[in-house]
Amino acid sequence: MHRLWNRADFAFSSAWQNFWRNAAVSIASVLIVWVVLLALGSLLLVLHSLDQIVALEKTKASAISVYLSDTTPLSSAMDFKLHLENDPRVTNVTFVSKDQAMARFRELPALDPSVIDTLGTNPLPASLDVTVRDIRDLGAIDQAVRNSPLVDRSPATNYEPNVIDKIILLARVAGVAGLVLIVGLTGLSVFIIMLTIRTAIYLRRKEIEVMKLVGATDWFVRWPFIVEGLFVGMIGAVVAVLIVGFGYRPAVVNLQSILIFVPLSFDQYYLRLVLAAMLCFGLLLGSVGSYLGVRRFLKQ
Amino acid sequence: MATVIPAVPQISLQGVHKQYPNGTVALRDVTLAIPKQDFVFLVGPSGAGKSTLVRLLIREEKVTAGQIHVEGQDLSRLKRRHLPYLRRKIGMVFQDFKLLPNLTVFQNVAFALRVTEGALRHLKPKVEEVLSIVGLEGKENKFPDQLSGGEQQRVAIARALVHDPRIFLADEPTGNLDPATSWEIIQLLLQINARGTTVLMATHNREIVDVMRRRVVAIEGGQIVRDEDAGGYHAPALESR
Repeated sequence: MHRLWNRADFAFSSAWQNFWRNAAVSIASVLIVWVVLLALGSLLLVLHSLDQIVALEKTKASAISVYLSDTTPLSSAMDFKLHLENDPRVTNVTFVSKDQAMARFRELPALDPSVIDTLGTNPLPASLDVTVRDIRDLGAIDQAVRNSPLVDRSPATNYEPNVIDKIILLARVAGVAGLVLIVGLTGLSVFIIMLTIRTAIYLRRKEIEVMKLVGATDWFVRWPFIVEGLFVGMIGAVVAVLIVGFGYRPAVVNLQSILIFVPLSFDQYYLRLVLAAMLCFGLLLGSVGSYLGVRRFLKQ
Repeated sequence: MATVIPAVPQISLQGVHKQYPNGTVALRDVTLAIPKQDFVFLVGPSGAGKSTLVRLLIREEKVTAGQIHVEGQDLSRLKRRHLPYLRRKIGMVFQDFKLLPNLTVFQNVAFALRVTEGALRHLKPKVEEVLSIVGLEGKENKFPDQLSGGEQQRVAIARALVHDPRIFLADEPTGNLDPATSWEIIQLLLQINARGTTVLMATHNREIVDVMRRRVVAIEGGQIVRDEDAGGYHAPALESR
């Protein structure tokens, strides 16, 4: 027990001294860890949002809204609805009135209700929401309804065949670009932490020489530097975690006010996972960098 | 010497050859046996291979060919992770003392115990014990730069004694000291030897070697050229000239 305590006490006090003895280099490594983790955390959250959007769009994909012109009488709309319901390719048709459309619009997150009130009249059309059995029939249905005189012209439907493909592509590109960025920054941070530890070793080389001479084990020599790396990783991680943790909600709200029609959401559970991952990754960066930094020296 | 020589020497070198990566051959076919409690002077000109031999004994360097046994262990087969435990059986001092300038006398000695994870409750009495052996009571709180060269070497000796080593290696311990102080250090090494520790001292100090009349191993050009009990710094033939 006392051996463990002795080792821990020695490792922590040495690491603390080292950290401050070459404060400039230590702070540089803290900064690089911080940047890496900030990038990692933000990337994970952005990718998660894109995933959610893709999932949502996929569920919406088997349905289109057919917009009715404002002059269409309700009875004609109901006839049209019946006509569509008789189509074997269609599973369900729902009528959405102008008022219901407005109510839905108001529910969009981060939309200032006062903006809607200044519009005065309701500009939104009534619609028939048509769900099909097979997504591939959507194009044909879209073509068929466009020719009806009851249907609005601007736009006739919300059918956009490429939107899902585009979102999926965007998610992939963002994922790959982000991964490349993270891998590059990770390599850079491990390298910089390694240099920090080398500097620390250089400053303490006489002490280490004596330690080895009197019979200290490699791990006893190594621990203070690993702990110093963990300090660096932890400080960088904590700062990044605080920024991401407190910045996520405002970021979602602000983005939502710009991207009104993109369904962004605030996922508290996923955020916790990301923050935990950032902390672990920070500690990992610090310890791996230190281990590599000490390794070459101990091999001698 | 009057001591009984045991069957297995405490330190033995057999056909030891050492070539450094840059091509320099430091030792050629060195065979040497040092029994327990022996006191050996290792003499020879600079670059003869004395320091290399000392470094091989604590395995700071590995042999190129041949075998070294220390305390019954074959050093070329000793695993790296077992090396620290060998070093705890060997006390070492150098010409340049290798003290840590930012630690006090007490802390310098205690450092050796701390980093080898000795029991902390024994730390203070042990440090005090070795400091009294080397005669540094009352100087515990001084820093190395407040001490004379001889006192600094005593601190280094105290540090080397803190693990109760069975072997004591001294590489030019009097190299930076004046003659009077050198004698004090030699007296201390004799005391350590008298307590049962084997002492191997590499030195240039002709006067000391000649007066002491202990076993002398002379190295030149990486080879042992003389090994005699109760010898002088130079071979008898040279001395008589």
